[in-house]
Amino acid sequence: MSKGFASNYRIVVLAVGIFLCFGGVGVRLLFLHVIDRDQLVRYIDKARRQVTEEKARRGDILDARGNVLATSHTLVVVGVDPQVLRKEDESKWPELASLLDLPLAELKKTLSTKTRPTQAEDDTSDDDHDIRWAKLSEDVTENTFEKITALGVKGVYGERTYRRAYPHNQLAAHVIGYVNKEGAPAAGIEHYADFYLRGQDGWRESEKDGRQRELAQFRTREVPATDGYSVKLSIDSAIQHIVECELDDIVKKFSPEKATIIVSDPKSGFILALANYPSFNLNEYGKASMASQRNIAVADMYEPGSTFKIVASSGALNEGLVSPESPRFDCSIDKIDYKGKTRGLPREDHHFTAPLNTAEIISRSSNRGAAQLAMLLGEERFYGYARAFGFGQLTGFPVGGEIDGQMAAPAKWDGLTITRMPMGQSVAATPIQMHMAMGVIASGGLLMRPQIIREVRDAKGELVYSFDGVARSRAITERTAETMAFLLSRATLTGGTGVEAAIPNYQVAGKTGTTQKLVPVTDAKGRTVLRYSDREHVASFVGFFPASRPQIAISVIVDGADARAPNGIAYGGAVAAPSFKRIGEQLIQYRDIKPVTEPNQSLLVMGGGKL
Amino acid sequence: MNKNDRHAFVSQLLVYTLVMICFTGSIGLGTVWLRNQIAQTANSVKSFENRTAEVERRLAETTTLIAAEQSPDELIRRNAEWRLGLAAPDFRTQIIRISENPEERLAAKRNREIFANAPTAKPVKFVMGGTR
Repeated sequence: MSKGFASNYRIVVLAVGIFLCFGGVGVRLLFLHVIDRDQLVRYIDKARRQVTEEKARRGDILDARGNVLATSHTLVVVGVDPQVLRKEDESKWPELASLLDLPLAELKKTLSTKTRPTQAEDDTSDDDHDIRWAKLSEDVTENTFEKITALGVKGVYGERTYRRAYPHNQLAAHVIGYVNKEGAPAAGIEHYADFYLRGQDGWRESEKDGRQRELAQFRTREVPATDGYSVKLSIDSAIQHIVECELDDIVKKFSPEKATIIVSDPKSGFILALANYPSFNLNEYGKASMASQRNIAVADMYEPGSTFKIVASSGALNEGLVSPESPRFDCSIDKIDYKGKTRGLPREDHHFTAPLNTAEIISRSSNRGAAQLAMLLGEERFYGYARAFGFGQLTGFPVGGEIDGQMAAPAKWDGLTITRMPMGQSVAATPIQMHMAMGVIASGGLLMRPQIIREVRDAKGELVYSFDGVARSRAITERTAETMAFLLSRATLTGGTGVEAAIPNYQVAGKTGTTQKLVPVTDAKGRTVLRYSDREHVASFVGFFPASRPQIAISVIVDGADARAPNGIAYGGAVAAPSFKRIGEQLIQYRDIKPVTEPNQSLLVMGGGKL
Repeated sequence: MNKNDRHAFVSQLLVYTLVMICFTGSIGLGTVWLRNQIAQTANSVKSFENRTAEVERRLAETTTLIAAEQSPDELIRRNAEWRLGLAAPDFRTQIIRISENPEERLAAKRNREIFANAPTAKPVKFVMGGTR
């Protein structure tokens, strides 16, 4: 063995030193990793571990053509910590105010206020609290925030938050609904379809450093967020716009208390447009009154008036008790014997000297004729048909807080109900109920469920659910429905009450309604009772076209338009029917609805082009 | 064991110890380097994630702006502002519905256009039985 190069003494000292060092490190490691391990791990876990929530993006609400009606985007809530503001940044304040769209004086006041007085009751100290966060703006866009960050004002921070945006403002407000600032869906489709829209938040477990920054290398577990599904509605924003413009015109012309227009595809029950007056801007829902947020198409009821006559006439035709042309009913009488008692018949708006057949009762809207048709049916059968047309029960419309209206069972009727209900009194319906009841005739006798959601798609655009038309029940036979459609189309011809709804070259079927409103009055004994008013009416027109091949059903219901209506009475034929016509004409172009009557083979050409 | 053997053993022990220290140190440094690389990669991934999130945020913002620009009210306003004069065809005067077969009508129109500008054909003279 060769001779060593170091002395014994030095080697021993060095070796002992090295081993002591290793021993020291080893002992320390023993303490750190074995003896104090639990305590240290707890401390580290507490100090460094963090669980970060990953917010899922809420799905979009789209219209039938894919236009975005509601979407989510990030906005930045910008605030300031006044304690760390620097003197040299004061020159940047005017630009900051400009970017935040705030008056400079207001910004200066916020930035200069460094303390707030103590508010707690039990806090008796005179010291004010330091302000560490004062909100400057809560709807700063990404671009603006980038500019604010570039300014480099120390103490100005931003916090990103998802906000719901409604690009079309008030369009279809009552259908879409809104999500409030807390992120809670408050109304409409936002509320109803929240299960699909909201998605599933994710989370990530990792560690953070002393400056609260995530240490990405220490990520341990991660559950990614699942974005919400998109909901495609049957609402068409172009049709909705046409309808809302028409509502605006009605408001300008008649100043009604409220009004509603519903447009649907009667064959499937899908709602194409639904608009109410008053309405509100979805982006400013906080400023909207509760009255304007009310979806009166489903949450308000009114006495449907003459539009309800379709029930008695359909029932009588369906039971084979009458045909369109016979028998004829004497509508000039004011009393009639029914079940051994004399019943008073309601007043007529027009005096009919000659007896009317069923076709004329419908086209000329005879109250007494409708009452006699209902008497032919009897209370139970008439009530059964009213139920079959969907009255007195929920239609199943998913949004707006639908109510089921009021329709008493025959056991609770008084002697006059059989004469009044057929003309739409003593019964209360929602506009959507009346619309769907007319849809029974347009759809060939089926009572359809009004639907608003067409499809649900995931974040990648893949179809998740698709909805189709749903028939609730059959109310009348297809043959009766065809006959009724034909009879209702005569109401829009010359001599009918709905002539203002007629569209040239198209068969329009529909029924006008002019309902006296029940108003509280004080009687001779000083009691407040409800009486039918001669001055306050609900004007309506409910119909569809083309009558023999229905493609569109439209309901126009205007409440309290008397003050500015011709002769001070808001007749359905004068107030609502013209709106039906104007909407129908625009839909003919938009949806390329061809007339059923001659010419049969049609071609649309522009008038300017020569063929 | 004699003195020289002891020296040699101790020297070898020292060398082995130093080699061990170097080896352990290298492993330690390697581990640190590896961890640093992991940290850099993780930060890089995080940076890409942040960038993706930012792009998605801007995309959502742009989508919102586009949707707002496509709203019927805004389109009507732009039409008026830019004086585009766009309007729906008048239902009564500009749209004509015709009853005849559109294919035949279009074919006839096309034929009229073709033959309207065609040169007139010269009459051909036929001579029966032979010479021209």
